This record gives sequence, C-alpha cells and structure tokens, in this order.
Amino acid sequence: MLVKVLAKSSFSSFVGALGDYGDLYAPVKTSEKVHSFKEIESLTDIDLSYTRTMIPPKKFFIHPEEVIFEFNIDEELYIEPPGGDERIVLFGVHSCDINALNLLAKVFTEELPDKYYLERKERSFIVGVSCVPDEYCFCHSTGTSYAQEGFELFLHDIGDSYFVRVGSLKGHEFIATHPSLFEAAEQSHYDSFKDAERKMYASFTNELEMAGLQDLLDMAYESEVWTEYGDKCLGCGSCNLVCPRCRCYDVEDHINLDLNTGERVRKWYSCMLSEHGLVAGGHNFRPTARERIRNRFNCKGSLREDMPNCVGCGRCTVFCPAEIDYVEVMKKVRGDLK
Amino acid sequence: MKPRVGIFSLTGCAGDQLQILNMEDELLDLVSHIHIVDFQEGSSYKEEGPVDIAFVEGSVSTETDLKHLKEIRERSKVLIAFGNCAVEGGIQAMRNDEGSIDERLKEVYGVEPGFFDARLSKPLSEYVDVDLDIPGCPVEKEETLRAITSLLHGDTPLRFTYPVCVECKLNEYPCVIIESGKPCLGPVIRAGCDARCPGLGLDCIGCRGPVDSASGFAAEYSMLLEKGYSKEFILNRLRVFSGEVKEDFLGGDQ
Ligand code: SF4
Ligand code: SF4
Ligand code: SF4
Ligand code: SF4
Repeated sequence: MLVKVLAKSSFSSFVGALGDYGDLYAPVKTSEKVHSFKEIESLTDIDLSYTRTMIPPKKFFIHPEEVIFEFNIDEELYIEPPGGDERIVLFGVHSCDINALNLLAKVFTEELPDKYYLERKERSFIVGVSCVPDEYCFCHSTGTSYAQEGFELFLHDIGDSYFVRVGSLKGHEFIATHPSLFEAAEQSHYDSFKDAERKMYASFTNELEMAGLQDLLDMAYESEVWTEYGDKCLGCGSCNLVCPRCRCYDVEDHINLDLNTGERVRKWYSCMLSEHGLVAGGHNFRPTARERIRNRFNCKGSLREDMPNCVGCGRCTVFCPAEIDYVEVMKKVRGDLK
Repeated sequence: MKPRVGIFSLTGCAGDQLQILNMEDELLDLVSHIHIVDFQEGSSYKEEGPVDIAFVEGSVSTETDLKHLKEIRERSKVLIAFGNCAVEGGIQAMRNDEGSIDERLKEVYGVEPGFFDARLSKPLSEYVDVDLDIPGCPVEKEETLRAITSLLHGDTPLRFTYPVCVECKLNEYPCVIIESGKPCLGPVIRAGCDARCPGLGLDCIGCRGPVDSASGFAAEYSMLLEKGYSKEFILNRLRVFSGEVKEDFLGGDQ
C-alpha cells in the first residue's frame, strides 16, 4: 500500500483539492446529539472530532427513499431515472462505516447488481479518517476498527500531520495530480502511525466477545433474554434504520390519477416492524416483539460474505429511544452477563 | 360509468372533508374521475342510491350517527373510516372509561337520561365492517389521494403499518426523546405525516392514532414512566387520539 504524509498546514488546500473531484460531504453537527454527512459550504462546518453520524454513509449509495423506475401502462414504458453525473466526495468516514460499505457493495453489486449502487460507487471518492472510540464503540471486537480497503485515501492523525494510506486507483491518481500536497513517509512517520493505532486500540472501553456467537445465539433461541428486551422494545425500527450494515428495503408502487402512469419507490425498512414478517395470505413469521428482536440479533450475529452483520459502531444503542444496549443483549446471550 | 363516491360526516369537526377541498391542485382532475353523490362540505347536492366508495368522517356519538352509519354501510361497496374520529373515536372518546354517558350528562348538564341524543363516542368499526382506514387529525391529503387513486385503479390502497419513528429517521431528524427526554409518542403512532412534529423539534402527540402492532404501547408507557412522567400524564397523552387506551392494554404483549 502506498503511504504518504499530509502536513496539517496543508489541510485546507487538501480539502479544496477534494472539492475539485466533486461535491464535498463531511460530518456536521446538526443537533446536540446528532452528526450528519452534509454538503460542505465552508471548511469550518466540518467536525472531524465526531464519533458517529446518526444516519450512516450508506445513504449516499442506497437513498433512504428513491424512485427506481417510472411506468406508463398504455405505452408499455418502463423508465429508469437518469443516473446523473454529479460526483461526490465523502470526507471523514470512519473505519467501521467503510467496512460496512464494503459489505453493502458486495451485496448490492455482485450477485444481482443494483445499477444505482454501482453508478454511485463509481462516482464517489471516499476519504477515511481515524477516530477516537467512545463508550459505545466496539469495532475492535467485530474486527472492523481498521479499514483495509473500500476507500480512496485514509487519513490517520499523527499529531502535526496525517499519515495517508492510498487505497484505490482513484486515490493514486489524486496523489499523482496533487504532488505538492504530500510528503514522502519516513520511518518516524511509520512509528507515529503505529503509536497512534496502538493508542486508539487501547482506548476502547466497550467490548464484545465474538467467538462462537452464532452458535450461542442458536442455543439462546428459547432464552428469556428475548422476552426481557422484547417487552422493552417499542418496535420503532430506529435500530435498523441507523445501522450501517442493515440493508432491508420496502418497495411501493404509486399510480397517478391518470390511472396510467406511476412510479415504483424503494425505501429503507426494518425487521423490527410488524409487517416485515408478513406474507401473502396473512401469515406473519414474527408476530411478536420477542420474535422480532430475536431475529434482529440473530441476523446481526451471523456472517455474510464472511463478515459479521455488525461493525460495532454503537449506533443502534445510542439511537434506541428505549435504551436497549446491543452489547448488553449479546452479553446476556453469551451468558457473560446475567 | 364513473364510480359513485360519497363523503359523509358523523360527529367531528369536518376537518377531514376540508382536506379534500384543500386538494386544490388535484381537485378538478379528481372530480373528472368520480361522481360525487354526497359531500356536505362541498355542495348541497345529494343523491340517493348505491355508493361505490364511501368516506365516513366523524365518530358515532349519537343515535342519529348510528342510524346514518348503518344506512351508509347498507348502500356502499367500500366504506372508509376517514380521520381519527372515525378510526379511533376521536378526542371525544378519551374519557369513555370514566362513567356512563347518562352519568356524565347528569353531572355536566344536570339533565335526565334521554334528554340529549348522545352515546359514548365510538369508532365506526364498533358497529359496521370497515374496509379501509385513513387516519389523521386531520387526514393527509397525499395519503387520501393515493387511496382514491388505488381504488379507482382496482388496487388495495397502501396503509402505513409502521410508526412515525421510521419517517423521522429517513428524514434524519434528531430524536426528541434522546435529545431532550420529550415524551414523544412517535414509536407507537402510525406514520404518514412524514414525522411532521419531530421535524419541527416537537414531540409527536399521536394525532394519527396507534400503529397496528400495539405491542409497543406497554413499552412506551414504561419508557415514559422511567423518564419520570407520571402515570396520569402518560395515560392522558395516549388517550387524546388513541381512543380508549385501557390500563390493561398497557401491560400485555400483543
Ligand atoms: S448492529 Fe448496531 S452496532 Fe452493529 S453495525 Fe448495526 S448499528 Fe452498529
Ligand atoms: S430502536 Fe430500540 S425500541 Fe426501536 S425497534 Fe430497535 S430495539 Fe426496539
Ligand atoms: S423523535 Fe419521536 S418519532 Fe422521532 S425517532 Fe424519536 S421517538 Fe421516534
Ligand atoms: S408527528 Fe405525531 S402529532 Fe405530529 S402530525 Fe405526525 S402523528 Fe400527528
């Protein structure tokens, strides 16, 4: 992997150069407890000290709600909305979210490619930034505290400068076209990088043992834990909607008053909602909150493409209005907590 | 032949009928697709005979309402409970568990039973089969239009089966429970308003009535208790638009 060094004094020129690639989006504080990836007008809006946004960056690839095609019945027309050509830079993405996007990309672009995801991925430039975990982060447990791929550039804070890893062809091109921004990395920078990583790793206070979790979830099928938390759960769906690795969506058809034209809309959905398990004929596979919460935790604790469906970002705990703590539930499943 | 549509009113504020009149951009298109046989708030014109789609607003609060409702059901193919009063009984149902109507009339007006033509306020479904409910106080124009369009096209209209929180999250609104401990009812209230109140930083007071899966009510109740709200405050709040929220309703998994 190519590595470079970016002096913090060059930070504003660097961000300016990113803006040449496309519209710049970065974390902005939008309320007391919420950060959001927003389009950046001025450098001072960017808050790189954020821990997590409420809505993860998946929103740029699978929009929360979007028209996937329009139709005209008489003319037998099926019209996909034009992809557009705006390019975007996602600046300040953390490792957990990059790892989450890597799984989404597999799901949405490999077996049954989603053209919208593919196009948007093609037209995006992801810049990762190192972070400091808070009491809800447990990405070191899920193996997602370090992003090996899925970004163009990754900036690690090493004091006066950033240690920059280059992760893609687009990243290499950026370096090549902006040579004056970067310095060569030397041994002292490697050392600072390793120190910073070690420090980050040592600062985790939350932890979840992952070994055997899938089997332990199986064994907990009839556990009281699902009743305990099912009773507490409001069924609001927030935990899924803020999860960077959740990818369920709903599809609705809307017909216009001419009774001829209309559109199909796709929007994010949640397995904590009662209709998620409802099938034709009226049978519901998961009619109670207890069954729905068990299903969610089983999904989260299982593997997809050899990756767990949870990247340890802590969002579902922080943004659950009922204060249901993901790690606490899993610890009860494991028997580590009574 | 154009479908025959009736827009009827029982006890309520007529706000749901008004929402139809408020569809200013679509109204002309709409009336070119349907034949309106009854629409009190729009016209004095009335027609007898069968109705393909009946919108019924208001709750059943009088003997006259009940008779009217049964007649409407009799002549209609599809009957839609239109607005919170028709779906849940409305604000006028919030004290239904506090004594009989006769006791209350005596207490408030000092009159003997039968003096007024009054009953306990109930939703339409208490007395007749309801084919579709469009909630809200008042109903949302877009949901109403979509329901009509679906019916005209021969589809089953979509219903919102999930709570306000979903729309709140899709809009990236900060959660007012988490931000400031406000007693938001969004987790148990039917979506469809695009999380209007949380979008303004306000807690949802539940004007669209309870979401289908009522299991969250008990959890909402305990959550608000834990946040320090009193039992009376929570019950009153839940009752405003959610019909007869009974205490045992708050205890069970449904
Ligand atoms: S399950 Fe929770 S902690 Fe895990 S990735 Fe999803 S939101 Fe983050
Ligand atoms: S966010 Fe919490 S209350 Fe809402 S569905 Fe998830 S676990 Fe239940
Ligand atoms: S503000 Fe209300 S509606 Fe929005 S997520 Fe929080 S509880 Fe749900
Ligand atoms: S947020 Fe709640 S009170 Fe506000 S419009 Fe929606 S359902 Fe009604």
